[in-house]
Amino acid sequence: MINALSRYTILFTLTLLVLAVLSFALIYLFPGDPLTNLTGLVPQNDIQREALIRQFKLDQSYPIQFYHYLQQLFLGNWGYSFISGQPLREEIGIAMPATFELSTYAMVMALLIGVPVGCYAGLKSYTVSDYAINTASIFSYSFPVFWLALIFIMLFSLEAGIAPLSGRISLLFEIPNVTGFILIDILLAKNINHGLALIDAARHLVLPTMAIGLISTAAMIRITRRSVIDVMNSPFITAARSRGLSNRQIFMRHILRNALLAILPLMAIQVTTLITNAMIVETLFSWPGIGNWLINAINQRDYPALRIGVLAVSTMVITLTVLIDILNRLIDPSREKFERGTI
Amino acid sequence: MAQFSLYQEEFHPSPWQKTWREFRSSHIASLGLMILIFFLIFAIFAPLLAPYDPLQQNVNALFIPPSWNVNGTISHLFGTDALGRDLFSRIVYGCRVTLGSSILLVLLAMIVGVAIGTIAGMLQGVRSSVVNHLFDALMAIPTLLIAIVIVAILGTGLVNSMWAITLALTPQFVHHTRSLVRTEMKKEYVLASKLDGANHFQLFFYSILPNMIEMLVVQGTIALSIAVIDVSALGFLNLGARPPLPELGAMLADGMEVAYAAPWTVALPGLTIFLIVLAINIVGDGLRSALRKRLTQ
Repeated sequence: MINALSRYTILFTLTLLVLAVLSFALIYLFPGDPLTNLTGLVPQNDIQREALIRQFKLDQSYPIQFYHYLQQLFLGNWGYSFISGQPLREEIGIAMPATFELSTYAMVMALLIGVPVGCYAGLKSYTVSDYAINTASIFSYSFPVFWLALIFIMLFSLEAGIAPLSGRISLLFEIPNVTGFILIDILLAKNINHGLALIDAARHLVLPTMAIGLISTAAMIRITRRSVIDVMNSPFITAARSRGLSNRQIFMRHILRNALLAILPLMAIQVTTLITNAMIVETLFSWPGIGNWLINAINQRDYPALRIGVLAVSTMVITLTVLIDILNRLIDPSREKFERGTI
Repeated sequence: MAQFSLYQEEFHPSPWQKTWREFRSSHIASLGLMILIFFLIFAIFAPLLAPYDPLQQNVNALFIPPSWNVNGTISHLFGTDALGRDLFSRIVYGCRVTLGSSILLVLLAMIVGVAIGTIAGMLQGVRSSVVNHLFDALMAIPTLLIAIVIVAILGTGLVNSMWAITLALTPQFVHHTRSLVRTEMKKEYVLASKLDGANHFQLFFYSILPNMIEMLVVQGTIALSIAVIDVSALGFLNLGARPPLPELGAMLADGMEVAYAAPWTVALPGLTIFLIVLAINIVGDGLRSALRKRLTQ
């Protein structure tokens, strides 16, 4: 186990190092002045420029520059946004939790609905209800997320007027940003009507979460169903049945545990899809998340922001994936390597 | 004269024929295949099928509703958009751009992925471990991020977004090829070829590749459905195809500005993307269950 953990750690650090090298290379690959791409500051005259170059060690060789760059990353000096002039760390600190919150709720929805429905479909495999569930899931799995979100906006916001069109919460509520998670922030905030604020935030949340969650739920149903069917065909289920266990006992003791084991590694792939979908949907609902922020950055050619934003998101996604893999390894040490399984 | 018959069956279907038979026995899968072929015909014969030039603007025919609407005309089957361009022609060409470019980039990702995956699978020790885990990590990076970086460096355009998606799809093929090569290399028939003096190239082309094709077809359909969604998503976000080009996602983004006045300019391109992806997913599902049934028999 220690062996495996240390191997994961080494590979994780290696991957992050590769990502850091790539983002360092972007300083020179992006169009424009490397100094501006690195710092987000535009020097006013030659003297200031010389000083900045010396400060950021751009006159040194590439390895030393990279070492300095890494140091600055760890210290939290991520440079300034080209457009707003704000420190990038603060901007990402606000945008990242918003995306994370949206993805978390969608994932919870996928787990709460997808796993039970998938189990049901797997247990009733090759019957009418299984076919119905399977068809519904393949339909919702095929929706392009941006079109689904547009349909939701048209149906629920414009026609029915049930849910608001954009943003996280009505401007009437003043919520100080503490954790970045809107629902937790509301509970922490003072001098507001918590009930009303929560209802308003939930109404803002429901459409984007539904749009992302529907696709993830469909994927989760398919994964769970396949895994349950695979487990049901294995010999130990026949053995359990011949021992006279009831269906309920077989399901709770043997099927569910083994089926859930196989689902976990597949969640690692789902994380990537989920965050991509969240980033796309954010742009439609003007959700102040990292996807919206990155798209704005590219439309305004804000290169320092792009460099750090891409690094931050890929670090988050890879950390989540590796964590799920390690968790998977902890639960099921017999697994030699993480497998990606089938749907 | 009665013939002497040694075998019970005269005709032995090949594995492919067996798979095809299983695939055909599922009605849903056959229907999906038909829809997919329908869209492929759209993509290949677009210039013959489209009644109008997809870029031709007509000031006298702005916002004509689809023909099933009371105000629609049959001369514009799906109506026209904000610039008077015929929507049906644009969708037909859109299938060509979206589906065609997706197929191309999946093939490219497949070739590159199989090449790298085979090398990674035949490598051993620390080198293989590093290559494998790096690619697994790269697999986790969303396409959108790669696309954003490439667009920032090279500028927007369909071809640039295609590079981004190819880059994002390749690690999957690497992963599956590598694990397949790994397991196949341990089998006896490969050992037999090795004892016959086959070198690595012969081993790959004559022994392993024929066993890989099924996996490649199944993975290819999965990758194709991801590619279609990604191409149109990047077009929709203005990171891919530029507006005059009839790409389905870009058309959707175009229609969004007039969505309230002309909902069909949003509904129909989106529906087309949905149907293409659905057909690909159904065919992929059918293929997988056909293969599974064949293997369990």
